[in-house]
Amino acid sequence: MTKKRIGVYVCHCGGNISDYVDIEKVKEAVKDEANVYLLKNTLFACADSSQKEMVADIQAGELDAIVVASCSPKLHVPTFRGVAERAGMNPYNYVQVNIREQGSWAHSDNHIGATEKAILLVKAGIARASESEALTSSKIPAANVVAVIGAGVGGMRSAIALADMGSEVYLIEKEKNAGGHVANYGPLFTTDITGYELAANLLAEVKKRANIKLFTNAELVEKKGSIGNFDIQVKTDRETLPLHVGAFVINTGFDSYKPAPGEYGYGEAANVMTLPEFKKLIDNSSDKLIFNGKTIKKIAYIYCVGSRQDDEGDNKYCSRFCCTAAIHSSIQASKKFKNITNLHFNRGIRTYGKQELLYEESSKNGDIYLQFSLKSIPEISQKGGKTFVKVKDILTAGKEVETEADLVVLVTGMVPRENDLLVKQLKIPVGRDHFFNEIHMKLRPVETVIDGVLIAGTCQSPKNILETMNSSMAAAAKINSVLTKGEITLEPTLAKLNPALCTWCGKCAEMCPFDAIVQTEYDGRIVAKINEANCKGCGMCTPVCPTDAIDLAGFTNAQIEGMIDALAEN
Amino acid sequence: MEATLTGKMDNTVAGVANYDVLVIGAGIAGEESALKLADMGFRVLLIEKEPSIGGKMILLSKVFPTLDCAACITTPKVSETARHPNITLLTMTEADSIVKEADNRFSVVLKKKPRYVVENDCTGCQECETVCPMVVKDQYQFDLVARKAIYIPFNIANPRVALIDIENCTLCGACEQKCPSNCIDFTQKEEQINVTVKSVVVATGFKLFDPISIDRYGYGKYKNVITSMQMERELAPTRPFNHILRPSDGKIPEKIAYIFCTGSRDHTVGNPICSQVCCMYSTKQAQLLMGALPMADISLYYINIRAFGKGFNEFYLQAKDMGASYVKGKIASVSEKENGNLLLRYEDVATGKVTESEHDLVVLSVGLLANPAITKVFKNATLEMDALKYIKQTNLLQSPALTSIKGVFVAGTATAPMDIPDTIMSAGAAAAETSGYLNQWS
Amino acid sequence: MATNVQPKILVFSTEKISDPALDLAGLLKKHYPVTIYTISVPCSSGIKPRWIMRAFEKGFSGVFIAADGTDCSYGESCGEKTSQIVTATHQLMRDKGLKPSQLKMAAICSVCAEPVVKHLTNFMKELEKMQS
Repeated sequence: MTKKRIGVYVCHCGGNISDYVDIEKVKEAVKDEANVYLLKNTLFACADSSQKEMVADIQAGELDAIVVASCSPKLHVPTFRGVAERAGMNPYNYVQVNIREQGSWAHSDNHIGATEKAILLVKAGIARASESEALTSSKIPAANVVAVIGAGVGGMRSAIALADMGSEVYLIEKEKNAGGHVANYGPLFTTDITGYELAANLLAEVKKRANIKLFTNAELVEKKGSIGNFDIQVKTDRETLPLHVGAFVINTGFDSYKPAPGEYGYGEAANVMTLPEFKKLIDNSSDKLIFNGKTIKKIAYIYCVGSRQDDEGDNKYCSRFCCTAAIHSSIQASKKFKNITNLHFNRGIRTYGKQELLYEESSKNGDIYLQFSLKSIPEISQKGGKTFVKVKDILTAGKEVETEADLVVLVTGMVPRENDLLVKQLKIPVGRDHFFNEIHMKLRPVETVIDGVLIAGTCQSPKNILETMNSSMAAAAKINSVLTKGEITLEPTLAKLNPALCTWCGKCAEMCPFDAIVQTEYDGRIVAKINEANCKGCGMCTPVCPTDAIDLAGFTNAQIEGMIDALAEN
Repeated sequence: MEATLTGKMDNTVAGVANYDVLVIGAGIAGEESALKLADMGFRVLLIEKEPSIGGKMILLSKVFPTLDCAACITTPKVSETARHPNITLLTMTEADSIVKEADNRFSVVLKKKPRYVVENDCTGCQECETVCPMVVKDQYQFDLVARKAIYIPFNIANPRVALIDIENCTLCGACEQKCPSNCIDFTQKEEQINVTVKSVVVATGFKLFDPISIDRYGYGKYKNVITSMQMERELAPTRPFNHILRPSDGKIPEKIAYIFCTGSRDHTVGNPICSQVCCMYSTKQAQLLMGALPMADISLYYINIRAFGKGFNEFYLQAKDMGASYVKGKIASVSEKENGNLLLRYEDVATGKVTESEHDLVVLSVGLLANPAITKVFKNATLEMDALKYIKQTNLLQSPALTSIKGVFVAGTATAPMDIPDTIMSAGAAAAETSGYLNQWS
Repeated sequence: MATNVQPKILVFSTEKISDPALDLAGLLKKHYPVTIYTISVPCSSGIKPRWIMRAFEKGFSGVFIAADGTDCSYGESCGEKTSQIVTATHQLMRDKGLKPSQLKMAAICSVCAEPVVKHLTNFMKELEKMQS
């Protein structure tokens, strides 16, 4: 084993680790490991003061490497690489050990076991750091060009923000027209503008900007490359265009939940409709509200259709916007037409924030609110040409209430749009709720694990228009701040080939999907060589070499086997 | 004057420093906007009136619905902000006046309050605290415990530098004698700093509702009625006590009650809107309490459960599964028993009957309010507020960061109540808007 | 093999996909046996048979490859290539008298917390049976 001076930091994570793992025991167990020069525990390794201390330790102790045993690498690798750099240490001599998500949290039911596992994981980290090497990142030019997929109001806003910040934008829309769902909406809540106006305004702004190219009837059909340098093919109704972009902002939006046939009578009775259908009806009616020849007076709204399916059903989430949207529509109906009675059959009204004022307004209008639980959902029945809604109302201690209704409006939520081709092309991660998944819900809400693929708007989760705008502009700001530098720093964990061992069998070149292995001359014979510009660091070439001539930097035989040996210890 | 500005000074114009953006407020919104703009290459001046950055978020225990520790996710951002080469950070600093001279020029007068400690020399050793004789209520622990007159605001403060609460200081000089770096300086005065900036981002955050105005809940009268922020501190890793305790006698509580909508959805206290985060933070605290006090009963008295965001509903159902008791019924009043226990009176909606329940600790889920003081700072232009005194978003849906003053943008809870991810996205939007605006003149 | 010590499983996870699933399991407090240790690599098709054999040699009872499946950002061929590695390793295992069932592979998506916990818990049960 190489001789090194390693600094080891074991983090309490404010109790998240130390409540389950005995930190002192861990320190005691690893203090005599080879190469451990310094061993400390920290309350929060990521706190500024801890980071400063690490920098001072590295410089004072002339440390060769550091091991930080704390949370998942997903969270703080850039933070601690920064610490190494500031201290003058190569950032690839820092090793992260996960003793939280895969330690204290996964085994919170077994403190002794969690401690023992933490000990072995830290020893493995030390073994890895003992064999780590300094690696230098190379930089490649990055195109400050972004493909925004989806030209609804969110996508258009992303495009406008990007263009104003100096990026070139390809705005790619699957449908014939830009504007998405919102272009079909009349009045919107918490504002005076209508959906048509908003969509039209945004489209006008898009057209004003020479550095946004809008493609309609267009879809992404192929993608190659990585952040800063993607080569894509966009198919329109006339041609297939090859384009070069630096990143993607996905703004593909949502679909409205379609009730199953018979769900609350949908598809069976004509006067049972979804909220979007109802909104269209009232937006397009003036003076009188008439449906199927009947003047509408009593409207029953059934909330949470297709959302909060706690027991069965896939959609366990709340669709966030619909309580407000339904109440807004009921207020519109009361304003526009005479003698309207609105009855809201809900599972708890969620008009959060300033939207609460709409709930208040509708109550003042005389709207009636009844609450039900999944244990007894409203029953819709047709008797003598009339529609009835019956429910056990929680707000009157479970009293059974039945009312006639001219219209039944199912307040339907959002579902993720079918996007199989796009998901396949870009490998966009999908969450448990089937919406696109961000890296970290709190810290990094618009980024995905794929570098250069950002998500914004309702494709990430249900939200209203204001929230979609914030999300879309935030994604634009994030990606612009990366691409505007003009270059991307590549991860240097690339394949390393030892020509002395190579006999040119060609197996590695066969394996490589990125054309990163070429032939070259060495010592009078033909051997393989890694083309670092193309190498993605996947490691696919490494297991097939018959002479084991290839190692992946950062994941070398010495490092991995050192870790295995440490973990196998009893 | 120049000595306090630690950022780049190469753009001084006639002795006055010049920046692209002034970001007012270094909570999570201000930090996020500042970081994005700094990454894009703009020169940012970030000011914060408190002695530490990180806003309210850095004082929280864990965040919903992931239960990440708040410090874990705030400190990297705080750290990045403090060391970014394009960000000049001034703490203890407020904008005293902002005068718009042109669309891309604002003259700003800043007032920096003295710490009476030389920032660059303080090592954060806390030796001064050990000898200070003055004991004062600790505002960062929301008055649960005390601190000294010379103090570091909290363990993970940034900058981790002491300051003297001069109003409570007897000028005895004990700290000056003890300080190993000799960095105590009682002669410091408030400084005035003049800068010009091309644009402004208002990220001044929110105020917490003070339940003292709801007499019938007994806050301030009954010792065992506390606010959610006080409970947050009891749960935080840098907590004042080693356990969850109730104030009157230090007993570990067994029957804890949460009163939702304290100061929200309530015309009688002038705040008719929903504060958006309290249902969720109360559920989070309930989960943490059930972990810390496995024998305790937690009852949450609510009107509606606003669990609308990504992962929220699942988080709420999880709390129910863990044993939290959610009772629909708005608490009408609280009264105290001799032993310090509290009686909560309410209509139990499930049964339709007026009921009383006894608890040994009551937590008020206080709401978020607007923080409009910044509007007074703009002298020759009006920074409009909406009816609820939040900064008005003049083009709400199309450009949510725009305000009534061209060149001034707004981010985060200065506009409306919102949670952390929404704040980060709002701040990103403000950065995008500001960047687009500044690009017009380059 | 000792009969009173819980068997050890070595998991090879992938940095972007199956490791996040294991993290998610921890976040959701979905418990699994504690003698399971993970080494994270960029892609499961880069796992060397010699590492797997070393693990068995040093005392691991089982090795689990939490592969990428079709999610792999390095391309479609990942799943196939990982299977080839398993096949090659099985041969080496037979030579050493190890049972092929001691090496398992499954495609794990980035939010597959429950499936991965199930796989690992079942694998541990299997190994415990084998041991007794």
